[in-house]
Amino acid sequence: MLSRTAENLYWTARYIERADSIARLLEVAYRIHLIPNTTEGYQNEWESILAAAGIKHNYLNTNSEITKNKIEYYLLFDPNNSSSVKACIENARNNLKMVRTAVTLEVWNAVNTWYHELSNYDKGKYDSKNLPQILDWIKRQVNLIKGTINNTQLLNDGFDFIYLGIFYERADFTARIIDVKYYILLPSSSYVGTQVDNFQWSIMLRSVSAYRGFKWAYGNSQIDYKKIIDFLILSNMCPRSIFYAVDKIQYHLGRLAQFYQSDNAANRNVKKIHKGFVNSNAEQIIDFGLHEFLTKFIDDMSTTYSDLEEVYFLGTDR
Amino acid sequence: MFNEVFNKNKPRIAYKDIVSWANSLPYHTLIKKKNEAENLFKKIGITFSVYNNFDSAERLIPFDMFPRVITKLEWMTIQEGVVQRSLAINAFLRDIYNKCEIIKAKKIPAKLVYMNPAYEIKMVGLKVPHNIYSPIIGTDIIRTDSKSFRVLEDNCRTPSGVSYMIENREIMMRMFPELFEKINIEPVENYSSYLLDILKSLAPKKCEGDPKIVILTPGPLNSAYYEHSYLADTMGVELVQGSDLIVEDNITFMRTTQGKQKVDIIYRRIDDDFIDPLSFNETSVIGVPGLFHSYKSGYVNICSAPGSGIADDKAIYTYMPDIIRFYLGEEPKLPSIKTWRCSKAADRKYVLANLEKLVVKEVHGSGGYGMLIGNSATKTKIKSFKIKINNNPDNYIAQPILSLSSVPIFKKDSLTPRHVDLRPFTLLGHRKRRLVPGGLTRVALKEGSLVVNSSQGGGVKDTWVLKN
Repeated sequence: MLSRTAENLYWTARYIERADSIARLLEVAYRIHLIPNTTEGYQNEWESILAAAGIKHNYLNTNSEITKNKIEYYLLFDPNNSSSVKACIENARNNLKMVRTAVTLEVWNAVNTWYHELSNYDKGKYDSKNLPQILDWIKRQVNLIKGTINNTQLLNDGFDFIYLGIFYERADFTARIIDVKYYILLPSSSYVGTQVDNFQWSIMLRSVSAYRGFKWAYGNSQIDYKKIIDFLILSNMCPRSIFYAVDKIQYHLGRLAQFYQSDNAANRNVKKIHKGFVNSNAEQIIDFGLHEFLTKFIDDMSTTYSDLEEVYFLGTDR
Repeated sequence: MFNEVFNKNKPRIAYKDIVSWANSLPYHTLIKKKNEAENLFKKIGITFSVYNNFDSAERLIPFDMFPRVITKLEWMTIQEGVVQRSLAINAFLRDIYNKCEIIKAKKIPAKLVYMNPAYEIKMVGLKVPHNIYSPIIGTDIIRTDSKSFRVLEDNCRTPSGVSYMIENREIMMRMFPELFEKINIEPVENYSSYLLDILKSLAPKKCEGDPKIVILTPGPLNSAYYEHSYLADTMGVELVQGSDLIVEDNITFMRTTQGKQKVDIIYRRIDDDFIDPLSFNETSVIGVPGLFHSYKSGYVNICSAPGSGIADDKAIYTYMPDIIRFYLGEEPKLPSIKTWRCSKAADRKYVLANLEKLVVKEVHGSGGYGMLIGNSATKTKIKSFKIKINNNPDNYIAQPILSLSSVPIFKKDSLTPRHVDLRPFTLLGHRKRRLVPGGLTRVALKEGSLVVNSSQGGGVKDTWVLKN
């Protein structure tokens, strides 16, 4: 397979996953918005969404105030935002267009239709009333695309590159959103374990679509942050957990190494990270420091990405 | 004007079933099918981009559902004619880059070849694999009366449109299967396997084993990108961009997930000038540095060969009957169109005196740009062409304004005639030739217009060669 093909498939998948993540983030904000404000903390859910997506700074470059309507527009369609849902959809399609022949016609159709339908939602002045409908549409299309990939794509190396894109993006997103929750959203560390804290965690579970899953896994017990750390970081059942993503990355890298019959640094280092997760529990992570743990994780993963890039995307001899 | 479908309001035999089918389609069905077709094109992504346009968005090529029919007999004439031309073109290219016998024999002026911007001096004396310079030739054919088909233009660099030929058929079969049950139509879907077969036969000297073939595209912004990816997909070869290829020690490789892999044959859809910044246009970023040296050393074949474009130059076109006679010793099977060369004093005098009756074309222009159609041009435009011709007579040729034949299109709920042309694609390989029965029918959608180019408001039709 051409190196560029592999790289384009990887990025197509990352952009698809990212669009999905942004939609889920917006959904959370929307949900909080409907709940009457408590007196402590979490005063401005919309601002926190910007912080969580890591684009507050950029937003303020082109917008003078933080309002619900503007943030929604910014995250969905604003041409000034290079990581809006619209930009993600366009980038996903552009990447895929370069490698059309590496996916089935059905996968291409699914992504292409997504792109063409975008204009139905992004015409005229943005109207906040349409938000739930737009978010539904984004999530539905992403599920459709992923389902089509699963149902029609040949399980060859291209399939692995697609899934590496999805899970690298997911690992990164989940890690960041937990980090943001802990270090930005909470007014101060004295709030850990309080009502506000637990409320925020439950919101976060929703943002990764894991609220129901959490209830299934832990029964109807009180939400507390240890359980949540366990669930969102270490669980092998929660499809949005960091460990789950690492596990999948390890699986697909392993398949590639076998397929090409050559081992590489990316594969070896992901195995190490994976092993670290298997041997940890929530208490150890809290002792180590959640923020420190997540920062280290994000750094380690980006190193493995560089290895991956070198070995598969540059196409030189090794 | 020759109407291909109706003879004094009565449908010709070949069109009888089609006309009664068209007339039986209720208007709402027609609209529904039209939308369906458009959606299919859009969904599959069969689009083209228009250059020099303010919005760079992709456009759909307008597709008309009324098919164009060619009888078996007519097809045989066309086939013989385009194959003959393609053989002559390749013989001509081989000659002018080697012994130049046609020039020594004074059949064609030396100046016209050697001073031609499309003549590639770097190709002189170079041995081209199996002497095939231009393996894929699209010939633009028009019809002016019930009998004769004439050649309007040859395209032997990187002719495009073949994917429309195939997709138009796919869409027609999906929408109107009943027609295909009733009428016996030659299939066109073999094109890609023919092309693969032809390319495979053109392996370079230093290729061992099964040749590795790739298609080289300028990228997704190119107007024919869909076609490039379609062909790569259906031939099962890689679609590469310049940056995917590297040349080391004169060997051409592509970058893959398993390291470098040798490439033997490149079907390039990039213009000569941009192939290799080291040998041609040094500002090219879509080419591959060193590729031409790899080609010269016999490690890789580039199809079509650099410098092939001279054969479809409009000034050379006027000599095509002589070229056919010179190399093949045969009379041309498809006549050319009467052409005046402004470089000749007598011709120029006639052209300048009769501009409103003529089509004037730039010798090196293409795509319907830089053209004067005398009877519909403004006085100012005619005046400006007079000046242009006088300033640079060598740059212009003129032809009579031919009334292209017509085939109807669906317009609202009735059929209304529009001018059409036809582009079949001839494939020439080492000791083999292939031709899919059919071609691309382009149709001028504006009433009375003779310009069928998609860049200027032309559309396409499915083309049916009848089996019997």
